[in-house]
Amino acid sequence: MNRSASLERGYRRLLAAYPATFRRENEDEILAVLLATAEPGRRRPGLAVSADLLRSAALMRLRPTVPRSARTVRAAVKLICLSALAEAAALISLVVTYGSIKAEVLKLAPADWPGTSLHLTVDFVTGPIIVAMLLWLAWAAGRGHDWARLVFSALFGLTTLAVLFALALDTPTVAPAAFTCATVVWFSQLGAVLLIFNPRSARYYGHEPAQRQSA
Amino acid sequence: MQEATFLILTSLADGSQHGYGIITDVADISGGRVRLRAGTLYTALDRLRVDGLVEVDREEVVEGRLRRYYQLTPDGTKLLAAEAAQLHANATVAMRRLSPLGVVT
Repeated sequence: MNRSASLERGYRRLLAAYPATFRRENEDEILAVLLATAEPGRRRPGLAVSADLLRSAALMRLRPTVPRSARTVRAAVKLICLSALAEAAALISLVVTYGSIKAEVLKLAPADWPGTSLHLTVDFVTGPIIVAMLLWLAWAAGRGHDWARLVFSALFGLTTLAVLFALALDTPTVAPAAFTCATVVWFSQLGAVLLIFNPRSARYYGHEPAQRQSA
Repeated sequence: MQEATFLILTSLADGSQHGYGIITDVADISGGRVRLRAGTLYTALDRLRVDGLVEVDREEVVEGRLRRYYQLTPDGTKLLAAEAAQLHANATVAMRRLSPLGVVT
């Protein structure tokens, strides 16, 4: 097989990792640059170039597509990520302190243990799902998907109910670390809701990313 | 601002350039220290276009392949000027303070 054709095929395989819209507009141009900068005689993409293309493709898929000037949206994305981090910290803290929580509940109100135990089990099961959902919503909100604002608001409503429920179960006393994390989750989500529904954010939602105008 | 972004904007301050031209120019500007790879360059250019700092000047087809020329926008020029002034001011202070120590070449 022709060296250049083999190399080009290798580069095209790597470029397939980029989002389709970006590829449609830029693939031929990037390919021309890759071929122009390749060492003479090379038949396959080098390791460093391959790593750079894959890293860049991952970045293109994950990073927010709203411009840097969309400060309210970008701040909301950071707050949603913070709430995911705090949610994960709450979950870890519940796992680590499970023994002491059980001992504390059995000491203060033994009759409450079945309810608390069920609550903890639900937390262990839903916690990782909620963390994953928050990261997904942060990604979607940063890419201007209007539905992400609505789904995130619904999730914030559920977080509010969960915090009120935790207060009713006396969680601040039996699991103070987890409750502190839950408080951080609630405040960061409140901040994110206020930011994504701020009038300055509205212009970045409701259009497909490719059609969105930069500020 | 990351160094690669600063160097890409600096390269375009001299007039519009295509991708390969930016890579060679950045290597020249940095004395061969920064060698941009295609993936990094086009990810940065995409970001700079979304942010309204760089735009496409024109397109040509050379040997059957698309060649796109990029140029700074007025906002890009303004941002580069502000960043360069800041770096210059910092470097001036550093050089002044290093001077008595005899380590400035």
